[in-house]
Amino acid sequence: MKRLSLISLLVFVLSLFTSSLFAADTFDLVIPLPLTGKQAKFGEMMKKSYEMAAEEINAKGGVKKSKLVLSFEDSGAKPETARAIVEKLIDTKKQPLIVGEYTSACAKAVAAVAEERKTPYLVVASADDDITQKNYKYVFRQNAVNAHYADGLVEFMKNVVKPKTIAILYESSAFGTSGADAMEKDAQKTGVKVILKEKYEAGSVDFKPLLSKVKAAQPDVIYMVSYVMDASLLMKQIKELRIDAKLFAGGAAGFAIPEFIDNAKDAAENVVTASLWCFKMKQPGAKEYAEKYKKLYGDYPSYHGVSAYSALYVVKDALERAKSWTPDGIRDALKATNISTAFGPIKFENKEGYQNQNFMETIVLQVIKGEHECVYPDSIASKKYVFPIPTWRERR
Amino acid sequence: MTSVQLEVLLQTLISGLLLGGLYALIGIGMTLIMGVMKIINLAHGELMMVAMYIAYVLFSSFHIDPYLSILIAAPVLFILGILIQKYLINPVLKVEAIIPENQVILTVGIGMVLANIATIIFSSDYKTTPVEYATKAWYLSDYWKASPIELSLSMPWSVSFCVALIITAALWFFLTKTDMGKSIRATAQDKDAALLMGVNVERMRVVTFGLGSALVGSAGCLFIPIYYLYPDLGGQFTLIAFVITILGGLGSTIGAIVGGLILGVFESLTSTYAGMGWAPVGRFMIFVAALIFVPGGIMSLFKRRRLGK
Repeated sequence: MKRLSLISLLVFVLSLFTSSLFAADTFDLVIPLPLTGKQAKFGEMMKKSYEMAAEEINAKGGVKKSKLVLSFEDSGAKPETARAIVEKLIDTKKQPLIVGEYTSACAKAVAAVAEERKTPYLVVASADDDITQKNYKYVFRQNAVNAHYADGLVEFMKNVVKPKTIAILYESSAFGTSGADAMEKDAQKTGVKVILKEKYEAGSVDFKPLLSKVKAAQPDVIYMVSYVMDASLLMKQIKELRIDAKLFAGGAAGFAIPEFIDNAKDAAENVVTASLWCFKMKQPGAKEYAEKYKKLYGDYPSYHGVSAYSALYVVKDALERAKSWTPDGIRDALKATNISTAFGPIKFENKEGYQNQNFMETIVLQVIKGEHECVYPDSIASKKYVFPIPTWRERR
Repeated sequence: MTSVQLEVLLQTLISGLLLGGLYALIGIGMTLIMGVMKIINLAHGELMMVAMYIAYVLFSSFHIDPYLSILIAAPVLFILGILIQKYLINPVLKVEAIIPENQVILTVGIGMVLANIATIIFSSDYKTTPVEYATKAWYLSDYWKASPIELSLSMPWSVSFCVALIITAALWFFLTKTDMGKSIRATAQDKDAALLMGVNVERMRVVTFGLGSALVGSAGCLFIPIYYLYPDLGGQFTLIAFVITILGGLGSTIGAIVGGLILGVFESLTSTYAGMGWAPVGRFMIFVAALIFVPGGIMSLFKRRRLGK
């Protein structure tokens, strides 16, 4: 009996020893994400992408021979919950680095906590401008901010389309309004006259009265900020009314996802949209990631997924360069980041009033033969853009 | 007025009339139920949503054209309406309740249940029936080469409008020429007198609810080729039907038709000349104006002397 207990004690001590040994060989990262609620779709996509990246990194020997061990906590897209999760991670788990979240509201809450506790936080897919405008030292963002979202499209208009006038249609929500205002400013900067700026209620049945007015104004470019169903109805009714503009452009969101083409069908042809990323663009790793994701989960991911996937590579890179795996060590390493990921090149800069912000080129997609193709900038284009576009009458 | 301005005005009126015709069909179902049963059916839009899902399933699984699916969706909705009336509303009508309008509250509940069932079965994603002819249209300049202005007439919108007209005409025929239709109108005008004349009032109520449901069901099938579908779509159409019912005069079928057309045209005109963001405001301005200036509805303007009550 005595002997038995001695052995068990020995085993216990041994197991303690080995487990602590293993602990030294892993880097645990808990990622807060919305896995329930309205944003769950995006949270789910990002979770899958984080897992894919972790698996790849571990298969290649991990980070400095440590295994990257991920786990996830559901914030339900609620800032209070996200804040509580991150406070716990930093205060009790002593996690030296925070990655994750999706909605801007949650990212803001997390950023405040991280800055206060001097722990670096990598923002993955939250676009609200002011997250990186608050002089935070420990907050890094790799995705483009709202204000720069349409940069690629504006460049495309300036260099290729050269319009004189533009009509802006947008849904009457915060998202629609901010998108329309940004475009108005950009247009004025490039000398394009805004001849019509009109909002509509999301979910409207009939856009034709509004569109007849657009038709009468004869703008060179019609720019629309809409979610997917309004986007398809708008294009369908534009086709019906045969409104010919030099360019039909969408401000991402509803125009950049495959459902837009499924619903608007041939009316979607030649429509361009701003976007952050497209798996067809010439970016090393982009296509591989997208194909692998499709094979595993059955559909192509959007930029949210690739940003999450790339975030882990940014983390890996920073951890490898960090002098110590302490919050400050990792912060300094992140600050010096300069790598190319499937999402695009990532480098954190202080400029235009932003701090630790990655300024990436946003791209232009065009629907060509019923598929989204990346057409601008030329360096990463998957197909040559179609311009000038044929009139509706010619298209029959 | 320049030709451009004329073109905008005419195109706006065309859109308004087409939209109004469809609105009218949605409104008639509600006004019919209102007339006979004296209750506002606030599950009206949700019944339309059910019919749209039927059309969607028929289209995506059996490739049945949404317009043809009226032949299936309308009878299904008729039966659904009968069941709701018989087993849910009638028992509540009989109970003495603290709130007099508890049947109306019941219909709100029915609407919520229907919307949630749809969410469970179909998820809250948007659905469409991408038909071939979705963006087909006729153009004035194709027929009249020298036309100074260009007008277009969308094919699915026009078809929907015409079918709505046919259904309305059939309903009018049913209500004025058939025995059962006359009984329904009698019940609507005076329940007690109808009862004394040997009309089975209870049965008429059940039939009316079925008929109202079938009408809004067919409106749903007419809407789906030009719109899209999601479980919470009911509310906005219940609201439209409600405005039309008030505008046309509670229980008046012709009033509902006129009310629907007025609402459609008014919405289009506000969209063009005041901005599309104002369209919902316009809708409620009409609603409030109708309540203040013509409390009896449009039809009360035509009838100098109202018989009955």
